[in-house]
Amino acid sequence: MPQSHILHNFDQALNNLRNTVLMMASLTERSLDNAMTGLFERDSDRCNVVIADDEEIDTLEKTVDKDGYDVLIRFQPVASDFRQVIATMKLSNNLERVGDAAVNIARRVKKLNAHPSLPEVKTLEPMYAEAKAMLKDSLRAFTDGDLEIAVELKPRDKLLDRLNKDIADQLTEAMPKHTEQLRGYLNLIFIARSLERVGDHATNIAEDAIFAKSAEDTRHVRPVQS
Amino acid sequence: MTASDSSRPFTVQHAPPTSPAPMPSPTLTAEQLAFDAKNVCVWYGEKQALFNINLGVRPKSITAIIGPSGCGKSTFLRCLNRMHELVPSARMEGKITLFGDDLYAPTVDPSYVRRRVGMVFQKSNPFPTMSIQDNVVAGLRLNGIRDRAFLDEQMEKSLRLAALWDEVKNDLHKPGVSLSGGQQQRLCIARAVAMQPEVLLMDEPCSALDPMATQKIEELMQEIKKNFTIVIVTHNMQQAARCSEQTAFFFMGKLIEMDSTEKIFGNPAQKQTEDYITGRFG
Repeated sequence: MPQSHILHNFDQALNNLRNTVLMMASLTERSLDNAMTGLFERDSDRCNVVIADDEEIDTLEKTVDKDGYDVLIRFQPVASDFRQVIATMKLSNNLERVGDAAVNIARRVKKLNAHPSLPEVKTLEPMYAEAKAMLKDSLRAFTDGDLEIAVELKPRDKLLDRLNKDIADQLTEAMPKHTEQLRGYLNLIFIARSLERVGDHATNIAEDAIFAKSAEDTRHVRPVQS
Repeated sequence: MTASDSSRPFTVQHAPPTSPAPMPSPTLTAEQLAFDAKNVCVWYGEKQALFNINLGVRPKSITAIIGPSGCGKSTFLRCLNRMHELVPSARMEGKITLFGDDLYAPTVDPSYVRRRVGMVFQKSNPFPTMSIQDNVVAGLRLNGIRDRAFLDEQMEKSLRLAALWDEVKNDLHKPGVSLSGGQQQRLCIARAVAMQPEVLLMDEPCSALDPMATQKIEELMQEIKKNFTIVIVTHNMQQAARCSEQTAFFFMGKLIEMDSTEKIFGNPAQKQTEDYITGRFG
Protein backbone atom coordinates (compact mmCIF):
# COMPACT_ATOMS: atom_id res chain seq x y z
CA MET A 1 0.00 0.00 0.00
CA PRO A 2 1.47 3.40 -0.96
CA GLN A 3 2.73 5.50 1.91
CA SER A 4 1.14 8.71 3.06
CA HIS A 5 3.19 11.86 3.38
CA ILE A 6 4.94 12.46 6.69
CA LEU A 7 3.01 15.74 6.80
CA HIS A 8 -0.63 14.72 7.09
CA ASN A 9 -1.63 18.28 6.21
CA PHE A 10 -0.04 17.73 2.82
CA ASP A 11 -2.20 14.66 2.17
CA GLN A 12 -5.22 16.57 3.39
CA ALA A 13 -4.46 19.51 1.08
CA LEU A 14 -4.01 17.18 -1.91
CA ASN A 15 -7.24 15.37 -1.04
CA ASN A 16 -9.13 18.66 -0.82
CA LEU A 17 -7.76 19.71 -4.19
CA ARG A 18 -8.77 16.43 -5.72
CA ASN A 19 -12.24 16.47 -4.19
CA THR A 20 -12.93 20.01 -5.41
CA VAL A 21 -11.89 19.21 -8.96
CA LEU A 22 -13.94 15.99 -8.93
CA MET A 23 -16.98 17.95 -7.79
CA MET A 24 -16.31 20.41 -10.60
CA ALA A 25 -16.02 17.54 -13.10
CA SER A 26 -19.32 16.09 -11.97
CA LEU A 27 -21.07 19.46 -12.26
CA THR A 28 -19.58 20.06 -15.71
CA GLU A 29 -20.71 16.66 -17.00
CA ARG A 30 -24.19 17.38 -15.65
CA SER A 31 -24.28 20.78 -17.38
CA LEU A 32 -23.33 19.28 -20.72
CA ASP A 33 -25.93 16.58 -20.25
CA ASN A 34 -28.61 19.13 -19.31
CA ALA A 35 -27.83 21.32 -22.30
CA MET A 36 -28.04 18.46 -24.80
CA THR A 37 -31.10 16.89 -23.17
CA GLY A 38 -32.65 20.35 -23.38
CA LEU A 39 -32.04 20.13 -27.14
CA PHE A 40 -33.27 16.60 -27.71
CA GLU A 41 -36.31 16.92 -25.40
CA ARG A 42 -36.95 20.61 -26.17
CA ASP A 43 -36.69 21.41 -22.47
CA SER A 44 -35.57 25.02 -21.96
CA ASP A 45 -35.78 24.69 -18.18
CA ARG A 46 -32.75 22.42 -18.29
CA CYS A 47 -30.95 25.08 -20.32
CA ASN A 48 -31.70 27.65 -17.61
CA VAL A 49 -30.18 25.29 -15.03
CA VAL A 50 -27.03 25.05 -17.15
CA ILE A 51 -26.71 28.85 -17.32
CA ALA A 52 -27.30 29.17 -13.57
CA ASP A 53 -24.82 26.39 -12.70
CA ASP A 54 -22.02 28.04 -14.67
CA GLU A 55 -21.38 30.48 -11.84
CA GLU A 56 -20.73 27.56 -9.50
CA ILE A 57 -18.34 25.97 -12.01
CA ASP A 58 -16.47 29.28 -12.29
CA THR A 59 -16.27 29.55 -8.51
CA LEU A 60 -14.92 25.99 -8.28
CA GLU A 61 -12.27 26.80 -10.88
CA LYS A 62 -11.07 29.65 -8.71
CA THR A 63 -11.15 27.42 -5.63
CA VAL A 64 -9.00 24.80 -7.35
CA ASP A 65 -6.52 27.46 -8.43
CA LYS A 66 -6.38 28.95 -4.95
CA ASP A 67 -5.98 25.54 -3.30
CA GLY A 68 -3.37 24.60 -5.90
CA TYR A 69 -1.34 27.75 -5.25
CA ASP A 70 -1.70 27.09 -1.55
CA VAL A 71 -0.25 23.58 -1.91
CA LEU A 72 2.61 24.90 -4.07
CA ILE A 73 3.47 27.63 -1.58
CA ARG A 74 3.03 25.68 1.64
CA PHE A 75 4.38 22.26 0.68
CA GLN A 76 6.58 22.92 -2.37
CA PRO A 77 5.74 19.57 -3.91
CA VAL A 78 8.12 17.80 -6.27
CA ALA A 79 7.97 14.90 -8.72
CA SER A 80 4.55 13.18 -8.93
CA ASP A 81 3.03 15.48 -6.31
CA PHE A 82 4.07 18.55 -8.28
CA ARG A 83 2.76 17.10 -11.54
CA GLN A 84 -0.55 16.23 -9.93
CA VAL A 85 -1.06 19.73 -8.58
CA ILE A 86 -0.20 21.34 -11.91
CA ALA A 87 -2.32 18.85 -13.86
CA THR A 88 -5.25 19.34 -11.48
CA MET A 89 -5.13 23.10 -11.96
CA LYS A 90 -5.06 22.60 -15.72
CA LEU A 91 -7.92 20.12 -15.46
CA SER A 92 -10.07 22.70 -13.71
CA ASN A 93 -9.30 25.19 -16.48
CA ASN A 94 -10.41 22.68 -19.12
CA LEU A 95 -13.53 21.83 -17.14
CA GLU A 96 -14.43 25.50 -16.88
CA ARG A 97 -14.21 25.73 -20.65
CA VAL A 98 -16.40 22.63 -21.05
CA GLY A 99 -18.83 24.44 -18.74
CA ASP A 100 -18.69 27.45 -21.06
CA ALA A 101 -19.36 25.16 -24.03
CA ALA A 102 -22.41 23.79 -22.18
CA VAL A 103 -23.66 27.35 -21.60
CA ASN A 104 -23.15 28.22 -25.28
CA ILE A 105 -25.12 25.12 -26.25
CA ALA A 106 -27.86 25.96 -23.71
CA ARG A 107 -28.25 29.48 -25.12
CA ARG A 108 -28.50 28.13 -28.69
CA VAL A 109 -30.97 25.46 -27.59
CA LYS A 110 -33.22 28.06 -25.97
CA LYS A 111 -33.32 29.90 -29.28
CA LEU A 112 -34.07 26.68 -31.16
CA ASN A 113 -36.79 25.69 -28.70
CA ALA A 114 -38.59 28.96 -29.35
CA HIS A 115 -39.34 27.68 -32.90
CA PRO A 116 -40.85 24.49 -34.32
CA SER A 117 -38.69 21.37 -33.99
CA LEU A 118 -36.02 20.68 -36.61
CA PRO A 119 -35.57 17.08 -37.77
CA GLU A 120 -31.84 17.76 -38.27
CA VAL A 121 -31.40 17.89 -34.46
CA LYS A 122 -31.13 14.08 -34.64
CA THR A 123 -27.89 14.36 -36.61
CA LEU A 124 -26.18 15.68 -33.47
CA GLU A 125 -26.93 12.57 -31.39
CA PRO A 126 -23.88 10.49 -32.44
CA MET A 127 -21.62 13.49 -32.01
CA TYR A 128 -22.93 14.21 -28.53
CA ALA A 129 -22.60 10.54 -27.56
CA GLU A 130 -18.94 10.59 -28.60
CA ALA A 131 -18.15 13.95 -26.95
CA LYS A 132 -19.82 12.83 -23.72
CA ALA A 133 -17.94 9.51 -23.74
CA MET A 134 -14.65 11.27 -24.44
CA LEU A 135 -15.15 13.64 -21.52
CA LYS A 136 -16.06 10.77 -19.21
CA ASP A 137 -13.09 8.69 -20.33
CA SER A 138 -10.64 11.58 -20.02
CA LEU A 139 -11.81 12.17 -16.45
CA ARG A 140 -11.46 8.45 -15.70
CA ALA A 141 -7.93 8.51 -17.18
CA PHE A 142 -7.12 11.42 -14.91
CA THR A 143 -8.62 10.12 -11.69
CA ASP A 144 -7.42 6.52 -12.13
CA GLY A 145 -4.13 7.42 -13.81
CA ASP A 146 -5.15 5.09 -16.64
CA LEU A 147 -2.63 5.71 -19.42
CA GLU A 148 -4.31 3.29 -21.83
CA ILE A 149 -7.55 5.25 -21.88
CA ALA A 150 -5.66 8.55 -22.08
CA VAL A 151 -3.60 7.49 -25.08
CA GLU A 152 -6.71 6.35 -26.99
CA LEU A 153 -8.43 9.72 -26.70
CA LYS A 154 -6.36 11.60 -29.27
CA PRO A 155 -7.50 9.51 -32.27
CA ARG A 156 -11.07 9.71 -31.01
CA ASP A 157 -10.88 13.50 -31.24
CA LYS A 158 -10.23 13.14 -34.96
CA LEU A 159 -13.52 11.24 -35.28
CA LEU A 160 -15.32 14.03 -33.46
CA ASP A 161 -13.74 16.62 -35.78
CA ARG A 162 -14.98 14.63 -38.77
CA LEU A 163 -18.50 14.37 -37.37
CA ASN A 164 -18.50 18.13 -36.80
CA LYS A 165 -17.38 18.77 -40.36
CA ASP A 166 -20.00 16.38 -41.77
CA ILE A 167 -22.78 18.11 -39.83
CA ALA A 168 -21.59 21.56 -40.88
CA ASP A 169 -21.39 20.42 -44.54
CA GLN A 170 -24.85 18.84 -44.47
CA LEU A 171 -26.51 21.86 -42.90
CA THR A 172 -24.68 24.36 -45.12
CA GLU A 173 -25.80 22.37 -48.15
CA ALA A 174 -29.41 22.39 -46.89
CA MET A 175 -29.45 26.15 -46.27
CA PRO A 176 -30.22 27.32 -49.85
CA LYS A 177 -33.10 24.83 -50.07
CA HIS A 178 -34.61 25.77 -46.69
CA THR A 179 -33.81 29.45 -46.25
CA GLU A 180 -36.54 29.77 -43.61
CA GLN A 181 -34.47 27.46 -41.38
CA LEU A 182 -31.26 29.45 -41.76
CA ARG A 183 -31.10 30.60 -38.11
CA GLY A 184 -31.97 27.13 -36.84
CA TYR A 185 -29.28 25.48 -38.97
CA LEU A 186 -26.72 28.05 -37.85
CA ASN A 187 -27.59 27.31 -34.23
CA LEU A 188 -27.11 23.59 -34.85
CA ILE A 189 -23.73 24.27 -36.51
CA PHE A 190 -22.64 26.26 -33.46
CA ILE A 191 -23.83 23.51 -31.11
CA ALA A 192 -21.83 20.96 -33.12
CA ARG A 193 -18.80 23.22 -32.89
CA SER A 194 -19.23 23.45 -29.11
CA LEU A 195 -19.33 19.64 -28.92
CA GLU A 196 -16.17 19.52 -30.99
CA ARG A 197 -14.55 21.88 -28.46
CA VAL A 198 -15.62 19.53 -25.66
CA GLY A 199 -13.65 16.82 -27.47
CA ASP A 200 -10.62 19.13 -27.63
CA HIS A 201 -10.83 19.76 -23.87
CA ALA A 202 -11.20 16.02 -23.22
CA THR A 203 -8.01 15.50 -25.24
CA ASN A 204 -6.26 18.19 -23.20
CA ILE A 205 -7.38 16.49 -19.99
CA ALA A 206 -6.05 13.17 -21.28
CA GLU A 207 -2.70 14.80 -22.10
CA ASP A 208 -2.55 16.22 -18.58
CA ALA A 209 -3.41 12.78 -17.19
CA ILE A 210 -0.46 11.31 -19.11
CA PHE A 211 1.81 14.07 -17.80
CA ALA A 212 0.63 13.57 -14.23
CA LYS A 213 1.17 9.83 -14.39
CA SER A 214 4.32 9.47 -16.46
CA ALA A 215 5.85 12.98 -16.71
CA GLU A 216 5.58 12.69 -20.50
CA ASP A 217 4.50 15.77 -22.43
CA THR A 218 2.38 14.50 -25.33
CA ARG A 219 0.94 17.84 -26.37
CA HIS A 220 1.35 18.91 -29.99
CA VAL A 221 2.88 15.55 -30.89
CA ARG A 222 1.61 14.17 -34.18
CA PRO A 223 1.23 10.41 -34.41
CA VAL A 224 3.99 8.76 -36.46
CA GLN A 225 2.79 8.01 -40.00
CA SER A 226 3.15 4.32 -40.82
CA MET B 1 -8.54 4.95 -7.74
CA THR B 2 -8.50 1.54 -6.10
CA ALA B 3 -9.45 1.00 -2.50
CA SER B 4 -5.86 0.27 -1.57
CA ASP B 5 -4.82 3.70 -2.80
CA SER B 6 -7.19 5.53 -0.52
CA SER B 7 -4.49 6.86 1.79
CA ARG B 8 -2.65 8.49 -1.09
CA PRO B 9 -4.55 10.95 -3.22
CA PHE B 10 -2.50 10.41 -6.33
CA THR B 11 -0.36 7.49 -7.37
CA VAL B 12 2.47 7.11 -9.82
CA GLN B 13 4.22 4.27 -11.60
CA HIS B 14 7.88 3.53 -10.98
CA ALA B 15 10.49 1.21 -12.32
CA PRO B 16 10.26 -2.17 -10.58
CA PRO B 17 12.46 -2.31 -7.47
CA THR B 18 14.69 -4.92 -9.05
CA SER B 19 15.80 -2.64 -11.88
CA PRO B 20 19.28 -1.16 -11.43
CA ALA B 21 19.55 2.46 -10.38
CA PRO B 22 20.72 4.59 -13.30
CA MET B 23 24.28 5.73 -12.86
CA PRO B 24 25.73 9.02 -14.09
CA SER B 25 26.46 9.45 -17.73
CA PRO B 26 29.14 6.98 -18.75
CA THR B 27 30.25 9.19 -21.62
CA LEU B 28 33.05 10.78 -19.55
CA THR B 29 36.13 8.73 -18.78
CA ALA B 30 37.69 8.52 -15.31
CA GLU B 31 40.26 11.12 -16.43
CA GLN B 32 37.53 13.51 -17.53
CA LEU B 33 35.37 13.04 -14.45
CA ALA B 34 36.27 15.15 -11.43
CA PHE B 35 35.61 12.15 -9.21
CA ASP B 36 35.08 8.59 -10.25
CA ALA B 37 34.15 6.36 -7.31
CA LYS B 38 34.15 2.63 -7.90
CA ASN B 39 32.76 0.05 -5.47
CA VAL B 40 33.35 2.27 -2.46
CA CYS B 41 32.58 0.55 0.84
CA VAL B 42 33.21 2.11 4.24
CA TRP B 43 33.13 0.61 7.71
CA TYR B 44 33.23 2.26 11.11
CA GLY B 45 34.54 -0.61 13.20
CA GLU B 46 32.21 -3.52 12.46
CA LYS B 47 29.42 -1.37 11.10
CA GLN B 48 29.31 -0.93 7.36
CA ALA B 49 28.32 2.64 6.43
CA LEU B 50 28.63 2.54 2.62
CA PHE B 51 27.90 -0.32 0.23
CA ASN B 52 29.49 -0.47 -3.21
CA ILE B 53 29.04 3.15 -4.22
CA ASN B 54 29.66 3.77 -7.91
CA LEU B 55 29.35 7.43 -8.72
CA GLY B 56 30.87 9.92 -11.13
CA VAL B 57 31.09 13.67 -10.56
CA ARG B 58 31.23 15.92 -13.60
CA PRO B 59 33.82 18.69 -13.57
CA LYS B 60 32.84 22.36 -13.15
CA SER B 61 29.34 21.47 -12.06
CA ILE B 62 27.46 21.16 -8.79
CA THR B 63 26.55 17.69 -7.63
CA ALA B 64 24.16 17.42 -4.71
CA ILE B 65 23.98 14.42 -2.40
CA ILE B 66 20.68 14.03 -0.58
CA GLY B 67 19.26 11.43 1.76
CA PRO B 68 17.97 11.00 5.30
CA SER B 69 20.25 11.28 8.32
CA GLY B 70 22.60 8.33 8.66
CA CYS B 71 22.37 7.35 4.98
CA GLY B 72 26.11 7.78 4.43
CA LYS B 73 26.16 10.98 2.39
CA SER B 74 28.61 12.81 4.68
CA THR B 75 30.73 9.67 4.97
CA PHE B 76 30.93 9.49 1.21
CA LEU B 77 31.79 13.19 0.98
CA ARG B 78 34.61 12.71 3.49
CA CYS B 79 35.97 9.79 1.46
CA LEU B 80 36.45 12.22 -1.42
CA ASN B 81 39.25 14.01 0.44
CA ARG B 82 40.18 11.22 2.85
CA MET B 83 38.77 13.10 5.82
CA HIS B 84 37.14 9.88 7.04
CA GLU B 85 40.65 8.65 7.87
CA LEU B 86 40.58 11.03 10.84
CA VAL B 87 38.09 8.64 12.47
CA PRO B 88 40.27 5.89 13.98
CA SER B 89 37.86 3.00 13.33
CA ALA B 90 37.06 4.03 9.74
CA ARG B 91 38.09 1.74 6.88
CA MET B 92 37.46 2.11 3.18
CA GLU B 93 37.56 -0.28 0.24
CA GLY B 94 37.18 0.54 -3.43
CA LYS B 95 38.70 3.20 -5.62
CA ILE B 96 38.25 6.94 -5.97
CA THR B 97 40.03 8.89 -8.66
CA LEU B 98 40.32 12.66 -9.06
CA PHE B 99 40.71 13.48 -12.75
CA GLY B 100 42.15 10.00 -13.15
CA ASP B 101 44.54 10.13 -10.18
CA ASP B 102 43.96 7.43 -7.59
CA LEU B 103 43.40 9.30 -4.32
CA TYR B 104 44.12 6.17 -2.30
CA ALA B 105 47.33 5.08 -4.00
CA PRO B 106 49.96 4.17 -1.36
CA THR B 107 52.23 7.01 -2.45
CA VAL B 108 49.56 9.70 -2.11
CA ASP B 109 49.76 11.92 0.96
CA PRO B 110 46.28 12.71 2.41
CA SER B 111 47.25 16.35 2.95
CA TYR B 112 48.03 16.57 -0.79
CA VAL B 113 44.53 15.23 -1.48
CA ARG B 114 43.02 17.85 0.82
CA ARG B 115 44.89 20.60 -0.99
CA ARG B 116 43.29 19.47 -4.23
CA VAL B 117 39.92 18.87 -2.60
CA GLY B 118 38.84 21.68 -0.26
CA MET B 119 36.02 21.41 2.21
CA VAL B 120 33.45 23.68 3.82
CA PHE B 121 31.60 22.40 6.88
CA GLN B 122 28.13 22.75 8.31
CA LYS B 123 29.28 25.17 11.00
CA SER B 124 31.57 27.96 9.97
CA ASN B 125 34.97 27.50 11.63
CA PRO B 126 37.24 30.48 11.10
CA PHE B 127 40.44 30.30 13.16
CA PRO B 128 39.34 32.24 16.24
CA THR B 129 42.63 33.95 16.97
CA MET B 130 43.29 35.06 13.40
CA SER B 131 42.20 38.18 11.56
CA ILE B 132 40.02 37.99 8.46
CA GLN B 133 42.99 38.30 6.12
CA ASP B 134 45.07 35.76 8.04
CA ASN B 135 42.20 33.30 7.98
CA VAL B 136 42.04 33.47 4.18
CA VAL B 137 45.74 32.85 3.64
CA ALA B 138 46.27 30.45 6.56
CA GLY B 139 46.44 27.44 4.24
CA LEU B 140 48.90 29.11 1.91
CA ARG B 141 51.12 30.08 4.86
CA LEU B 142 50.98 26.53 6.18
CA ASN B 143 52.29 25.43 2.80
CA GLY B 144 55.31 27.67 3.21
CA ILE B 145 54.29 30.62 1.07
CA ARG B 146 55.71 33.81 2.55
CA ASP B 147 55.62 36.26 -0.38
CA ARG B 148 53.55 39.12 1.07
CA ALA B 149 52.44 40.49 -2.29
CA PHE B 150 51.32 37.08 -3.49
CA LEU B 151 49.47 36.41 -0.23
CA ASP B 152 47.69 39.79 -0.44
CA GLU B 153 46.77 39.17 -4.03
CA GLN B 154 45.39 35.71 -3.22
CA MET B 155 43.52 37.08 -0.21
CA GLU B 156 41.73 39.76 -2.22
CA LYS B 157 41.03 37.38 -5.09
CA SER B 158 39.57 34.77 -2.74
CA LEU B 159 37.48 37.27 -0.79
CA ARG B 160 36.15 38.68 -4.05
CA LEU B 161 35.33 35.17 -5.28
CA ALA B 162 33.54 34.52 -2.00
CA ALA B 163 31.57 37.76 -2.51
CA LEU B 164 32.93 39.06 0.79
CA TRP B 165 35.51 41.63 -0.30
CA ASP B 166 33.20 44.64 -0.42
CA GLU B 167 31.89 43.85 3.05
CA VAL B 168 35.26 43.37 4.78
CA LYS B 169 37.85 45.28 2.76
CA ASN B 170 38.07 47.96 5.47
CA ASP B 171 38.14 45.48 8.35
CA LEU B 172 40.71 42.97 7.22
CA HIS B 173 42.55 43.10 10.55
CA LYS B 174 39.45 42.38 12.60
CA PRO B 175 39.04 38.85 13.96
CA GLY B 176 37.32 36.40 11.61
CA VAL B 177 34.87 35.48 14.35
CA SER B 178 33.65 39.10 14.51
CA LEU B 179 31.74 38.52 11.27
CA SER B 180 28.10 37.37 11.07
CA GLY B 181 27.35 33.66 10.62
CA GLY B 182 26.79 34.01 6.87
CA GLN B 183 29.95 36.10 6.46
CA GLN B 184 31.96 33.58 8.50
CA GLN B 185 30.77 30.80 6.20
CA ARG B 186 31.83 32.84 3.16
CA LEU B 187 35.15 33.49 4.87
CA CYS B 188 35.59 29.74 5.17
CA ILE B 189 34.77 29.40 1.47
CA ALA B 190 37.35 32.12 0.72
CA ARG B 191 39.88 30.21 2.84
CA ALA B 192 39.11 27.02 0.92
CA VAL B 193 39.32 28.57 -2.55
CA ALA B 194 42.55 30.45 -1.66
CA MET B 195 44.27 27.07 -1.88
CA GLN B 196 43.02 26.84 -5.47
CA PRO B 197 41.59 23.37 -5.06
CA GLU B 198 40.12 21.50 -7.99
CA VAL B 199 37.03 20.52 -6.02
CA LEU B 200 35.11 22.08 -3.18
CA LEU B 201 33.18 19.75 -0.89
CA MET B 202 30.36 21.38 1.06
CA ASP B 203 28.77 19.54 3.96
CA GLU B 204 25.45 21.25 4.66
CA PRO B 205 27.04 24.68 4.31
CA CYS B 206 23.83 26.64 4.81
CA SER B 207 22.06 24.66 7.50
CA ALA B 208 22.91 27.23 10.17
CA LEU B 209 22.26 30.30 8.02
CA ASP B 210 19.22 32.51 7.49
CA PRO B 211 17.58 32.71 4.04
CA MET B 212 19.50 35.83 2.97
CA ALA B 213 22.87 34.35 3.91
CA THR B 214 21.83 31.07 2.26
CA GLN B 215 20.97 32.93 -0.92
CA LYS B 216 24.40 34.58 -0.95
CA ILE B 217 26.15 31.22 -0.56
CA GLU B 218 24.01 29.73 -3.33
CA GLU B 219 24.82 32.62 -5.66
CA LEU B 220 28.45 32.19 -4.74
CA MET B 221 28.30 28.51 -5.62
CA GLN B 222 27.03 29.38 -9.10
CA GLU B 223 29.95 31.77 -9.50
CA ILE B 224 32.69 29.49 -8.23
CA LYS B 225 31.55 26.45 -10.17
CA LYS B 226 32.93 28.21 -13.26
CA ASN B 227 36.37 27.36 -11.88
CA PHE B 228 35.77 24.55 -9.42
CA THR B 229 33.78 21.37 -9.14
CA ILE B 230 31.38 21.41 -6.21
CA VAL B 231 29.91 18.46 -4.33
CA ILE B 232 27.35 19.49 -1.75
CA VAL B 233 25.61 17.44 0.90
CA THR B 234 22.32 19.00 1.88
CA HIS B 235 19.15 18.17 3.77
CA ASN B 236 17.43 21.05 2.05
CA MET B 237 15.91 19.54 -1.06
CA GLN B 238 14.85 22.88 -2.46
CA GLN B 239 18.49 23.89 -2.22
CA ALA B 240 19.59 20.77 -4.07
CA ALA B 241 16.95 21.44 -6.73
CA ARG B 242 17.93 25.10 -7.06
CA CYS B 243 21.69 24.75 -7.14
CA SER B 244 22.82 21.47 -8.57
CA GLU B 245 23.03 19.95 -12.03
CA GLN B 246 23.28 16.36 -10.78
CA THR B 247 21.70 14.84 -7.70
CA ALA B 248 22.51 11.57 -5.98
CA PHE B 249 20.11 10.00 -3.50
CA PHE B 250 21.62 7.83 -0.77
CA PHE B 251 19.65 5.56 1.53
CA MET B 252 20.99 3.22 4.19
CA GLY B 253 24.51 3.41 2.83
CA LYS B 254 23.53 2.72 -0.76
CA LEU B 255 23.35 4.96 -3.78
CA ILE B 256 19.75 4.50 -4.84
CA GLU B 257 19.74 6.80 -7.83
CA MET B 258 21.83 9.47 -9.48
CA ASP B 259 20.66 11.56 -12.39
CA SER B 260 20.18 15.11 -13.57
CA THR B 261 18.59 17.22 -10.86
CA GLU B 262 15.66 17.91 -13.16
CA LYS B 263 15.03 14.19 -13.51
CA ILE B 264 15.45 13.41 -9.81
CA PHE B 265 13.02 16.12 -8.70
CA GLY B 266 10.75 15.84 -11.72
CA ASN B 267 10.36 12.15 -12.32
CA PRO B 268 12.80 9.92 -10.44
CA ALA B 269 13.16 6.36 -11.70
CA GLN B 270 13.20 4.73 -8.27
CA LYS B 271 10.24 4.61 -5.90
CA GLN B 272 12.49 5.10 -2.88
CA THR B 273 13.74 8.36 -4.35
CA GLU B 274 10.21 9.50 -5.12
CA ASP B 275 9.02 8.62 -1.62
CA TYR B 276 11.91 10.49 -0.03
CA ILE B 277 11.75 13.68 -2.08
CA THR B 278 7.96 13.87 -1.83
CA GLY B 279 8.16 13.57 1.92
CA ARG B 280 6.75 10.07 2.39
CA PHE B 281 9.67 8.99 4.57
CA GLY B 282 12.88 10.42 5.91
